[in-house]
Amino acid sequence: MSDKKGIDILDLIKKVLFTDFVKGLKVTLGYNISKSITHRYPDDEKWIPYRRFRGVHTLNRDENGRELCVACELCVKACPTSCITVVPMEDDTGRGIADRVAKVWRVNLVRCLFCGYCEDACPTRAVRLGREYELACSDFRCTVRNREDLLMPQPVPESIEGGIVAKAKFERPLSGIKVTADLKVTKKRAW
Amino acid sequence: MMIPDISTILEVVLIAVKVVVVTMILFGLPLPLTWLERKVAGHIQVRLGPWRVGPHGLLQPFADMIKLLMKEDIVPDRADKFLFTIAPLLAMVPAFAVFVAIPFGENIVIPVINKEVSLYISDMNVGILYILAISGLGVYGIILGGWASNSKYSLIGGLRSSAQMISYEISISFAVIGVVMLSNSLSLVDIVRSQGGSLLQWNFFYLPVGPVWCAIFIIGSLAEINRIPFDLPEDEGTLGAGFHTEYSGMKFALFMLAEYVAMVSVSVLTVILFFGGWNSPVPLPIPIPPIFWFVAKVAFFIYFFMWVRFTLPRYRYDQLMTIGWKILIPVSLVTILITGFMRI
Ligand code: SF4
Ligand code: SF4
Repeated sequence: MSDKKGIDILDLIKKVLFTDFVKGLKVTLGYNISKSITHRYPDDEKWIPYRRFRGVHTLNRDENGRELCVACELCVKACPTSCITVVPMEDDTGRGIADRVAKVWRVNLVRCLFCGYCEDACPTRAVRLGREYELACSDFRCTVRNREDLLMPQPVPESIEGGIVAKAKFERPLSGIKVTADLKVTKKRAW
Repeated sequence: MMIPDISTILEVVLIAVKVVVVTMILFGLPLPLTWLERKVAGHIQVRLGPWRVGPHGLLQPFADMIKLLMKEDIVPDRADKFLFTIAPLLAMVPAFAVFVAIPFGENIVIPVINKEVSLYISDMNVGILYILAISGLGVYGIILGGWASNSKYSLIGGLRSSAQMISYEISISFAVIGVVMLSNSLSLVDIVRSQGGSLLQWNFFYLPVGPVWCAIFIIGSLAEINRIPFDLPEDEGTLGAGFHTEYSGMKFALFMLAEYVAMVSVSVLTVILFFGGWNSPVPLPIPIPPIFWFVAKVAFFIYFFMWVRFTLPRYRYDQLMTIGWKILIPVSLVTILITGFMRI
């Protein structure tokens, strides 16, 4: 009983001196003067994700420039949303690593849930999920990516580990906005 | 007919000019204050706040203003049209009228016409009573606005506001009485003069009652101007937006204007009543214009109110009533007694 009373008095003193209130104010003041962690995207910073990031698909080539995809259609089978279309064809001109290559390799990004199962299923590591994540566009055409686009070299090369914030330029031409990252000027993220 | 002599005319013109200047400043002030409030909110939450409109988002208030001007001014179908329209004005006019009695500094001499000008519109000898009375009227705007909108959220917001007002007005008045006892005057100019000299003359440092009065006044005022942690009339979590749920466009802007002006007037009053007004905290060898001290102190309190807003959660309604009736009023009664004994 008396014990309880002692606690009450302590509590009362705390309340009278606004201890909790002052503590709270101290915390918020600390945050107020600390540096903000907001990325100034798209104006002048852009986040470069880690390699494990799952963005838009890429189709890769081996070191001799031959396409790795053998059009086995395993990715098509593995895909839970059936958004990949692969049409195989015979080709022995050395375009691919085998004489079976993809005539059509198309992924519908509206349906894709970026699970990465296609990547896991691929026997030749041809399809990988890349680091591009700016998918917004004004019509449906850009939501379907074809082989030709996916074979293009990535804007963020594999050698960059990622997890950094790069300086970026925000351009708004009539053809569509884009944010180009300057990979030479980067910094670690603020937190 | 008697023709008024030149000095009377000049006097009238001066007062008119002062009224216009003060009104202009008060109309302009919410623009930087909204920006500041959002910046403070942003940085406390480790964000940036407004950033994209102009450098550091400085033009954001203008963008907001244009947006509010262009919005459709909706009057709900079943609302009481007349009351609905005048309610924002009823909220705004008292907030502005308070500044009639607020002094901003001692008299200054304008160099060219060599005339002494006072930095207040009117030095009433009961200035503080006038301020209490007028600022209390502002709640009519909120109650009527809530009632006229014909919406349950607005109505509850308005009712809460009136109950809150009744509970906290009492303790504010007690706090003011305390200050009047300390300074022996009801005139704000005299209250400031009585705190001249140094830091220790300020009412806040009149131990042990000064800090108590100050705390009561600030808590009561926070409740009076509906700011967090006492912003129950516009409790977003449960009431939509409280009393201004149905308001849009310029009418909504007038409510916001009233709120910001009220915040400024509370900061100004806190400075005048407890922190020595335009007196400098320590005697300095170099003369610093008194208005600088005044503005600096007011700015600090404005920041303080924003700081509190983004620190504390909102009180529950019963807690609000408990604080008002069971704590603030008994404490102020006791403190009045102590102050009385100390002033014998
Ligand atoms: S990431 Fe998943 S959903 Fe997308 S294409 Fe690959 S398997 Fe299909
Ligand atoms: S991307 Fe891989 S899994 Fe898909 S068809 Fe080509 S080789 Fe097969």
